[in-house]
Amino acid sequence: MSGFDAALTAEAADLLYREAWHLDSRDWAAWLALYSEDAIFWAPAIAGEEGFSGDPDNDVSLIYLDRAGLEARIFRIEGRDSFASAPLPHTAHVVGNVRAAETKGAEIEVSATWLVNSFRRTDPPILRAGRYAYTLRRTAAGLAIARKTVYVLDDRIVGPIDIFNI
Amino acid sequence: MTGASAQSLVDDRPGDGIFRVRRAAFVEPALFERELERIFQRCWNYICHDSQVRERGQYVRGSIGRYPVFAIRGLDGEIRCFHDSCPHRGSMLTRGRSGVQPTITCRYHGWAFNADGRCIRVRGRDAGYSREALERLGTDLKPVARVASYRGFVFASLDPDVEDLETFLGGARPFVDLMADQSEEGMEVLKGESTYVMRANWKLQTENSTDGYHVATVHRNFAHTVRQREALAGEADDARARTEASRILDLESISSGGYDMGNGHMINWSDRGSPESAPLNEARGAIAARFGEGKARWMIDRGRTVTIFPNFFLNDVASTCIRLWRPVAVDLTEIDTWCLAPIGESAAARRARIRKYEDFFLPSSIAVPDDVRAMEVAHAGSLAAGGEAWNDLALGYATMVEGADDAARELGAAPLHSNPGRESETPFYAFWREWRRRMDGP
Ligand code: FES
Ligand SMILES: [Fe+2]
Repeated sequence: MSGFDAALTAEAADLLYREAWHLDSRDWAAWLALYSEDAIFWAPAIAGEEGFSGDPDNDVSLIYLDRAGLEARIFRIEGRDSFASAPLPHTAHVVGNVRAAETKGAEIEVSATWLVNSFRRTDPPILRAGRYAYTLRRTAAGLAIARKTVYVLDDRIVGPIDIFNI
Repeated sequence: MTGASAQSLVDDRPGDGIFRVRRAAFVEPALFERELERIFQRCWNYICHDSQVRERGQYVRGSIGRYPVFAIRGLDGEIRCFHDSCPHRGSMLTRGRSGVQPTITCRYHGWAFNADGRCIRVRGRDAGYSREALERLGTDLKPVARVASYRGFVFASLDPDVEDLETFLGGARPFVDLMADQSEEGMEVLKGESTYVMRANWKLQTENSTDGYHVATVHRNFAHTVRQREALAGEADDARARTEASRILDLESISSGGYDMGNGHMINWSDRGSPESAPLNEARGAIAARFGEGKARWMIDRGRTVTIFPNFFLNDVASTCIRLWRPVAVDLTEIDTWCLAPIGESAAARRARIRKYEDFFLPSSIAVPDDVRAMEVAHAGSLAAGGEAWNDLALGYATMVEGADDAARELGAAPLHSNPGRESETPFYAFWREWRRRMDGP
């Protein structure tokens, strides 16, 4: 990201921290409320040695969901009927290296780095890491997430990946 | 169970209506070593799809059991497969999982090879090596004994005397054709690959790949979740974007079945609840004109899993998937998955195909994680009492028929036995008979 705005970065970081907190405390409704109605949640897949898949309409992504898709993921988690997701692992997100800048059209671009540790009694502990790229939008209720891109660095994936552990 | 013969692990008594497999077959470490030697080192092993090695010098890394290999398109356009091991002192030669290396230079001491495998440089050759020494050590890349491709699917074998690939694929060929024939322009592997890990024996994946019995239990959550999503999003304008949950939730309303295609290959199929939801539906006219109505029905209206012995499948149910599961240890399997798509399909069909693939076939999807869990738990439970207990594969025995059923005849396929209904375990007999034959054979 080119520009960097300290005040905006503090405001954006607060949103990212709240999001991570909601996920770790399994407050799915509060988590989803951070997303705009037209939000897109995208985790590209690894492509080749050093790259990620690009255009989600032509390449395979790990996850590409609109808001209804995110809501359905919550339905899956809360229903406790998914073999893989019950019991849920305990997760701890650590979000850092947050930088934000305003772009044209009053949208805010944010980049950050993340680590998630997941623990479940029956499984080995799982450490995942990656980068986030957000597009935030200012609304009456504060900043909303219009788009979140999650780059997952694992190219040999251990354990399931879902919205709560990346 | 150490040293148990495969014979004693597979109790196959057709006359008595008994077919069972001792759980030790999944968990016994000594058997795993024997499998690498008796099965993987002698069998045809899937390596890649030819769309992944389109250019000269383009390569894909693969493995045969534990042996590292790679397939590469040569300067002459031919696809070859080599041991991924430098003739000098054994260093792996590929730099990544895939890429383009028209000249393969070993990073260790700088020997170089062209894409046909010929050595083109030994650094310090004249000063350091006698001609006799170079001749003795052999400077060209060591080819894997046999490479062959069927309809774009490239296989390799370490056994120079292995039967022809076509003979090996045998009865499964019409079902492989159902994937290969989806576009006159050919098929392509899409960008965006995935490798994930399963803490379970590789044969649990082979069974699960053709197991229709778990669909209604393990994947009912998938079906409910997509139903919920579609309810939230409102009816999609484009039918292709819809995911039919009915084939999972309402088995009574559709036809389905399973086949033993011989040589260890297995088929499981179900009619789609709503054929309009198949991305390929847009090509129905062209496909029916080229291949007839029967084959069009098989390609578009029917979902299929085509499990090729020992560790490879083509799946055209939720979306089109190539999956390869690699044995790493008796209780550890690495799984590669790719989306295979018809070249030239519409943008809307491509998008729908990709979304459905992501819904089902990835470790980040809402189906595969549940499968992986199921197999890991099955492995863990199979350790009970040293694997002494039997998996009695009796489900569907009563409905099994010799030879083809009407659906198979429509395709001109010749199963050894058929079962009308995907909730049967009789297709597994194909795998276990082949497994036993190879494990106990000469
Ligand atoms: S090991 Fe390859 S050049 Fe020495
Ligand atoms: Fe499954």
